[in-house]
Amino acid sequence: MIASRQPLPLHRSLALGAIGTLAFLGFWAFLARSGLVSPLFLPGPVAVAERFATLTERPFAGGTLPAHVASSLQRFMVGYLLAAAVGVPLGLTMGWSRLLDDIVTPIFDGLRFIAPIAWVPFAALWFGTGIGGPILIIFAGAFPPCLINAYRGARYIDARLLEAAEMLGTPGYRMIAEVLLPAALPSIVAGLRISAGLGWQSLVGAELIVASTGVGYMMVQAQGAVSTATVMVGMVAIGLVGVIIDVALRTLETRLRRHHGQS
Amino acid sequence: MSAIRFERVEKSFGSHVKALDGVDLTVADREFVAIVGASGCGKTTCLRLAAGFEAPTGGRITVGGQPVTEPGPDRAVVFQQFALFPWKTVAQNIAFGLRNKGMPAAERQERVAAAIDMIGLSSHADAYPHQLSGGMQQRVAIARAYVLEPEVLLMDEPFGALDAQTRVVMQEELVRLARKNPRTVLFITHGVEEAVYLADRVAVMTKRPGRIKEMIDVKAVREAERWEEHARIEDVMDLESFVHLRTHIWKSLREEKVAGR
Amino acid sequence: MKFSRRMCVGMATLVVIAVLWYVATTGLGLISAGRFPAPGDVETAAVQAFVRGYPDTTLLVHVLHSLRLVALGFLVSVTLGVPLGLLMGWNPTAEALINPVFLLLRPIPPLAWIPLAILWLGLGDGAKVMVIVIAALPPAVISTQAGVRGVPPQIIEAAQMLGTPRLRFVTDVLAPAAAPMIFTGLRLALQASWTTLVAAELVGSLAGLGYVLNVAQQDLYPGMILVGMAAVGVLGAGSTALLGMAERRAIGWAQLRGAA
Repeated sequence: MIASRQPLPLHRSLALGAIGTLAFLGFWAFLARSGLVSPLFLPGPVAVAERFATLTERPFAGGTLPAHVASSLQRFMVGYLLAAAVGVPLGLTMGWSRLLDDIVTPIFDGLRFIAPIAWVPFAALWFGTGIGGPILIIFAGAFPPCLINAYRGARYIDARLLEAAEMLGTPGYRMIAEVLLPAALPSIVAGLRISAGLGWQSLVGAELIVASTGVGYMMVQAQGAVSTATVMVGMVAIGLVGVIIDVALRTLETRLRRHHGQS
Repeated sequence: MSAIRFERVEKSFGSHVKALDGVDLTVADREFVAIVGASGCGKTTCLRLAAGFEAPTGGRITVGGQPVTEPGPDRAVVFQQFALFPWKTVAQNIAFGLRNKGMPAAERQERVAAAIDMIGLSSHADAYPHQLSGGMQQRVAIARAYVLEPEVLLMDEPFGALDAQTRVVMQEELVRLARKNPRTVLFITHGVEEAVYLADRVAVMTKRPGRIKEMIDVKAVREAERWEEHARIEDVMDLESFVHLRTHIWKSLREEKVAGR
Repeated sequence: MKFSRRMCVGMATLVVIAVLWYVATTGLGLISAGRFPAPGDVETAAVQAFVRGYPDTTLLVHVLHSLRLVALGFLVSVTLGVPLGLLMGWNPTAEALINPVFLLLRPIPPLAWIPLAILWLGLGDGAKVMVIVIAALPPAVISTQAGVRGVPPQIIEAAQMLGTPRLRFVTDVLAPAAAPMIFTGLRLALQASWTTLVAAELVGSLAGLGYVLNVAQQDLYPGMILVGMAAVGVLGAGSTALLGMAERRAIGWAQLRGAA
């Protein structure tokens, strides 16, 4: 017979969570120490932490870890802001103008199934491997959610609001800035959060292939030099920055929602 | 042999909400008892305890002398929202409990076909629940319970989600079924007329924390006044004896509402 | 009316783009052939890819190579992920034990595992399958888990009251009830599989679509880059459509219900 699903008491679930986490770390440390796997390919948690500390001071592949992170973040910001600056207004206008919707949607659908990372060759060809190439990849990754969410936000606005604004003779640009944008804001912010995640992930991919600085570049160089600990430090750093970006945008999202009287 | 007994049953949710406070109730073997009460009085909790979905925090519940510990096919439940499996056809839904019992396929098909016939849905045996109307879905849910030949049937406002016309038809059908194939039934409703029409006895619950306030013996009146001679529900509802009982229960419930204010 | 209007505008857009493309490249030479290919260059590249092969074998061989890896990685992710999701969705103890590990590893983008995978397993198929599984497993697990959590309690109670044995409860109640969400997870997993594979092949490989793109990039061969990208898009769309067909066959009941 099937027992019902009862939620666990908090202390129990925390304890189990700690056990799970420790088991994971313990298994990792055990494998690294056991000699079953060469420490060259699987450094333990402590070795990775030490390497992390070292890399904050000593440069690897042309820069210290903070320098690589800064370089990645700079690219990310440019590509992400570009995606938002193009995607959000375009999405809003598409939600409002049937004609633009009909024009852009087939292009968008045609490009949708091309993985952002597949733009890498053109990115390198057009903008080189410095800052421009990776930016295009971030753009390709971050653009779709910006567009789609702004579009949905504008498309599913209460029609009476739009009619009221039209009746009042609102000109087009103010229609977007003063009616569509505020009404679609919650959906837009949700889209911005999703696209930050996708953009960050695309950036990492791009830096693995076309870049001469950045965390991804550092990892590829480390891979070439068989420095597994450095590769893992890169993974940890990418994860940490990703979490920080997500938390920041989440905070923004809840603030805005509260401001909008929605929860 | 399959009587339901509530002995000073208490049920609290968390430390603040006391839903039931000493419910004493016996549903005799093959008896049809309806519990009526205002919404939130804990009547559904009674049924969920008898079904074994939840455990009482005080007192005890037995069915056929055995304490209730977990849900099982000996106490079939008919839910208000039908709770059919939407990915199974009518026939598969009805067959599910029998498959769980490990009944051989041939016998199972026979039983299922008979059950579908009983509810008049032979032409819909291979339809999916969402292709049926609410009334048809609830008939399937009733057949799914009946086909197990359970000693006890527990019905939680089974007609609550149906429109008025459909409800009347279903009530008449249930009476027909209950007479032909009597079971021990615990029936939860907030409809006073429905309770008087269907049940042998009606239990009136107090407001929360719920207790049984009053038991009304409908069966004695029904037999004395020969309600069975009237086939249609509206004719029964016109009878003076029916109106009298209904008004009595209404007043009893009304007192609770006023007291609760 | 509206539908046909939409179609007309869509077609017109595509025609205009095609004409602009031709005029800007072949016609007026506004865009140099070294930056973006002219229609003729794409044709040449396509013929070369399909007939003579580029870099070493035909496009079909590369496509099959990538397709095989995606299929393998996707299937491994699904066969591991769906049962794991069912377990975590149903059993709070399992969830409390396993979830922190997920939370710990999830912020690391799947693509960031590529260097590690290459270190561990080299440039061959093993590393590709590893990163695909890392990318596709979480969506499969998370969606399945969410699907199980979303099963209406009454459905579970109905199964309990019908005396359903444990195994049949999982296969006949939990899994079908969660199926719509499971398929959502599969779609996300499939998408992640393609993205990750292309990235992994771009970073380092000896065959496959990413390899074609990589070589074309180094050869400064824009026509071939476009052919490679088109192939990536077609395969992504095609496999998604295939999954959609499977979904309609498997859970037609859910879609019928949505329409009713």
